[in-house]
Amino acid sequence: MKVCYSVNGKKKEFEIKAGEVLLDVLRRNGYFEVKGNCYMGTCGACTVLIDGLPYTSCTMLAAKVDGSEITTIKGIGTLQKPHPLQKAFVEKGAVQCGFCTPGIILVAYALLKNNPDPTDDDIKKMLDGNLCRCTGYVQQIEAVKLAAKMLKKGDE
Amino acid sequence: MLKLKNVKSCFTPNSIQEAIDIHKKSGGKAVFVGGGLDITVFPNPAIEQLIFLDKLGLTYIRDDVGNIKIGATATITDVTKAPVMQNYLKGKVKIALTELASELLRNQITMGGSIARHHFYSDILPVIYALRGKIMVSDGELVEEFFVDDFYRNDLKVLMETHIVVGVHLNKYDDSFQFGSKRFVRNATDIALLNMAILAQIEEDIIKDVSISVGSRPGPAYRFEQGEAFLRGKKLTKELAEDFESFTKSNVDVTKDMHLCKEYRQHIASIYAKEMLLDFIGGVR
Amino acid sequence: MKDFKHIGTSTDKIDALSLATGQSMFVDDISFPNMLHVKFLYSSYAHAIIEDIDTTLAEKHPGVEMVLTYKNTSRVIHTTAGQGWPEPSPYDTYMFNKKMRYIGDRVAAVAAETEEIAREALKLIKVQYKVLPAVLDMEDAMKDGAPIIHDEPEIKGAYDIKHNLAAHILVKVGDVEKGFAESDVVVEDTFEVPYAQHCPIEPHVTITYLDEYGRIVIRTSTQVPFHVRRIVAQVLDIPVQKIRVIKPRIGGGFGVKQEIILEDVCAYITMKTGKPARALFTREEEFVSSRTRHQMKVNVKIGAKKDGIFNAIRMYVLSNTGAYGTHALTVASNAGSKTLPLYNKAPNVEYIADVVYTNLPIAGAYRGYGATQGYACLEQVVDEVAHKLELTPLEIRKKNHIKSGETSPIFRALGEGREGVTQYMQSCALDELIEKGAKEIGWFEKYGKKTRNGSKVRGIGMSIHMQGSGIPLVDMGAATLKMNEDASFNLMYGGTDLGTGLDTIVTQIVAETLGIKPEQVIVYAADTDLTPFDVGAYASSGTFISGGAVLRAAMKIREQIFEVAKEIFGEYDERDFVLEDGKVTSKKTGKSVTLSEIAYQTLYVKNQHQIAATGSMVSPYSPPPFAAHFVEIEVDEETGIITPIKYVTAVDCGTPLNPELVRGQIIGALVNGLSYALSEEYKFTDSGRMVSSNFMEYRIPSTRDIPEIVPIVVRTYEPTGPYGAKSVAEININGPIPAIGNALYDALGVRVHKVPYIPERVLEAIRSKK
Ligand SMILES: Cc1cc2nc3c(=O)[nH]c(=O)nc-3n(C[C@H](O)[C@H](O)[C@H](O)COP(=O)(O)OP(=O)(O)OC[C@H]3O[C@@H](n4cnc5c(N)ncnc54)[C@H](O)[C@@H]3O)c2cc1C
Ligand code: FES
Ligand code: FES
Repeated sequence: MKVCYSVNGKKKEFEIKAGEVLLDVLRRNGYFEVKGNCYMGTCGACTVLIDGLPYTSCTMLAAKVDGSEITTIKGIGTLQKPHPLQKAFVEKGAVQCGFCTPGIILVAYALLKNNPDPTDDDIKKMLDGNLCRCTGYVQQIEAVKLAAKMLKKGDE
Repeated sequence: MLKLKNVKSCFTPNSIQEAIDIHKKSGGKAVFVGGGLDITVFPNPAIEQLIFLDKLGLTYIRDDVGNIKIGATATITDVTKAPVMQNYLKGKVKIALTELASELLRNQITMGGSIARHHFYSDILPVIYALRGKIMVSDGELVEEFFVDDFYRNDLKVLMETHIVVGVHLNKYDDSFQFGSKRFVRNATDIALLNMAILAQIEEDIIKDVSISVGSRPGPAYRFEQGEAFLRGKKLTKELAEDFESFTKSNVDVTKDMHLCKEYRQHIASIYAKEMLLDFIGGVR
Repeated sequence: MKDFKHIGTSTDKIDALSLATGQSMFVDDISFPNMLHVKFLYSSYAHAIIEDIDTTLAEKHPGVEMVLTYKNTSRVIHTTAGQGWPEPSPYDTYMFNKKMRYIGDRVAAVAAETEEIAREALKLIKVQYKVLPAVLDMEDAMKDGAPIIHDEPEIKGAYDIKHNLAAHILVKVGDVEKGFAESDVVVEDTFEVPYAQHCPIEPHVTITYLDEYGRIVIRTSTQVPFHVRRIVAQVLDIPVQKIRVIKPRIGGGFGVKQEIILEDVCAYITMKTGKPARALFTREEEFVSSRTRHQMKVNVKIGAKKDGIFNAIRMYVLSNTGAYGTHALTVASNAGSKTLPLYNKAPNVEYIADVVYTNLPIAGAYRGYGATQGYACLEQVVDEVAHKLELTPLEIRKKNHIKSGETSPIFRALGEGREGVTQYMQSCALDELIEKGAKEIGWFEKYGKKTRNGSKVRGIGMSIHMQGSGIPLVDMGAATLKMNEDASFNLMYGGTDLGTGLDTIVTQIVAETLGIKPEQVIVYAADTDLTPFDVGAYASSGTFISGGAVLRAAMKIREQIFEVAKEIFGEYDERDFVLEDGKVTSKKTGKSVTLSEIAYQTLYVKNQHQIAATGSMVSPYSPPPFAAHFVEIEVDEETGIITPIKYVTAVDCGTPLNPELVRGQIIGALVNGLSYALSEEYKFTDSGRMVSSNFMEYRIPSTRDIPEIVPIVVRTYEPTGPYGAKSVAEININGPIPAIGNALYDALGVRVHKVPYIPERVLEAIRSKK
């Protein structure tokens, strides 16, 4: 069947199988920036924003979100024009292997949209579905706070 | 990884009637999809049709007279963010719900999906049990209301052939009521191995009314009625809390699995029971 | 301390922005037309022989390209351990075999057009097993008459297969029995440390294809590209020359990717079909059929004199290598060699290890590499000795730990499965680590106070640790540098960055040495065709060995640059030259030439040649980093629940080349160690099936699980390391088990002898004390 998403601001049609999850559709179509492996909603590496809210794309039926706006990590900033969150993650040493990073930054992005001034606790609660085995999270939490500061200063 | 290999078609009906008609016609091969978490993580190869409930207008949380009305497709996140929940029972129900699963999953898990399957992931149901929620189901024409306990006395498989869950209603409780909940987890985002919730009405130190629920996966959540009977009408004191601890230990019904034995679960339930009562004493004074 | 420009600054990790913007390519982020997808069939019995296997139906299934079993693949006995040659692990494995040794052992593989088809086809394979009695317990495995797990005649290098012993170690210094007899107190205890998995968020994944010359290219998520090349060549019986291994970005390894698991199968399929092949482990496969930490039972006995000085230490380790002996000997070696030298005052030391095969999942390399298990016991027994002598944990350690200028006979007696190399400590800040850590945790105010809040009691505990930096006289790494017109340098080196930041550190080393900016170094790493050899990322060797190689190459370049400058300046003595800010300046004459001018001159103008050099690093030294760990916990006496409140880790890793990356390594290892101590568990059924094989059942920590963490880095200068650096990646996983164990004792006076410290066990310990 066919569905239509707007991915990172570009509207596109996708041919999908009715029982497929969004992660598979995205990767098959070259959105390799969406990682993933557990297929149980337990690691968060496959996170994307669907109409602005973060979800694990491995547990989201592709057909269910027909017509939605989907944002991957490439939709919030690029190598040439990174988002403050991406810069802050680099600055704080919050990226090690980077496999979890796209998902984590997307969740943080959704957090900062609603809560420009999050506490440590807010950040911990929001990022609790994104496992990272490399960093131990401390620098990631610092990076989110740094990004909040950068955003407030208008560093877009 | 293709999860639901045999699914051939998807429907997004605009009315409950339509949803139920599709379901009936499918001859048992269709499922309703709330958030779809359960359906994708534990895929059933027999499924051939998916019926999305997103367009039924059931994503609401209403602050009504006497009731908070939560629609079936409202997610846990929706519920915890709703203004009416912020101070509901001193915000404690909200906290209970924010602690479970993870942000990403709270965004997906719907109330309907949590209720319609009375399965071992027990974090949400104990809360609804303790709050004596009413489950609203509809066959497209009539809305029927079930007290949560009665709801699960139905053969769910049969009931869900012809009905969908449209929502849950939670009574509003005045200041004489206190709510508490506890969960035993191996780490924060674990699905609780044991959890417990208590709602108690306390007037002049007397426990006027109380409901207690216990969940211990893989077993289903249930109302701990013996415990309620034990407490009802008694004076809430430290001693009572301690008595109740030992009562709970010997009377609470829990299951075991590879992660946790029965004995420890009974123990932890009894500690939780005591702690919640002690908290209530603090809350009253 | 020396003054550096780039060393010791937190240069941004060179690949971080690319990773953070989703640009970077991991193994699975490419796809080829006609690529075959590989899926495996696993043994459903812990111990069995395949009497027959019928793959006809699977082969006929539309879309299936080939089915691999022992019947149609090469039978070459080897080890999957990605270690230097000759590997110290026994040769006991075939690509496919008749004999099944655990639930999860490889029966067959299907290569098909899609994953779905491959999965369907697996169901069509009919296997007839002859089920054998299984051994699931370490002690049972050694008994006379136990079922023999490795009874095939080709096995090589195992210690005593009749008793299922993959390896055995016995090392003696002095006479421990006499030592105990002459001690004033003797304490002995045993701790069991369990199975665990590394859980890199990216699992094992390999893609193979043929290049334009028909050579096999293996693009794989590995820590050991060069060992992959060698071992795949061995298994497929083709020359090394026919294989190219490429390591792109890797989603974490922690030791589990120091192993050849998927590469041989994919390469074989590509060789036979000419088509690209891809294998990607599911999370369940990662848990069951990749590698794990060695489960160990560790017994330590310490005899001490009244003044607290140790007189004798004996450590006995019973280690479970599972169905195959990968890293069996060396992990067990390290349980002693990375722990016992810490207490070098004892004249009498004995280390004994038995490593058994069982019909359980295969153990392998895992961050900490045996030291984690050794310290779990040693550091708790040291506390027990202190208690007996009424010394504090700080005092007893200060009296006994190794210091600068000192050595331990264990360094020589116990190496990596063979004799080791004597090491004298040239940098060791243990005293300062203990002092600073104690202060930060509030040791003097809190220790022994047992502050109570209802049923919750506070306790604090500590432990000290060392590790190594590469394997002395074994590990070798090499690097090549060449100069370009704009004074940028291509650095090709074999070092394997798994996300640790090694590729960044090496740019800092080059920049520091050549007076340029790190951005001027273009790194290309870990490609067996294009970069020089390196053993890979293990044994905490990255900075020390690979970084050391890069330093050597850069030093040679420096000389070559000076040669050209001499010519240009008409001067003779390079001691007058400074290489800084992209130019060579003569202090004597004030003459100056930019590196870019030198590059143009040598490439185009005069005395033309390519400024380039290769450096190799192999070292008789393996300087240990040190750490002192301190933790404050709250334990609920009624429930047994332990909650870490604050964790302080003071670390001496020589010069922290890049402080932000160092911090990341410290915290990352620590958090992994914390959850190993508290929540991670392999659960088995009675028949040996691992059943906690996903993240729902096997709990690794999230942001909501971490306590306050305070890393403290004490800077020393290690003269044998590049710019004074030692390793830092592994050591901090070793602390949480003993430190929390000691804190628990401080709070409640009990010890839990089986890890993880789950509430049930803690409660049981509390009850049995009462
Ligand atoms: C990784 C993971 C972690 C989890 N953690 C927790 C946890 O910590 N605590 C906890 O309580 N639970 C947890 N869960 C369980 C989760 O709450 C359930 O899976 C829940 O059913 C998901 O809700 P959903 O809306 O996505 O369900 P769906 O998958 O949409 O539906 C579940 C079932 O209910 C039916 N259904 C859905 N909506 C309706 C309706 N309105 N009327 C009739 N039938 C309907 C569906 O047909 C299906 O059979 C977890 C699950 C996973 C996979
Ligand atoms: S792949 Fe989606 S949560 Fe792990
Ligand atoms: S950086 Fe490796 S998993 Fe997070």
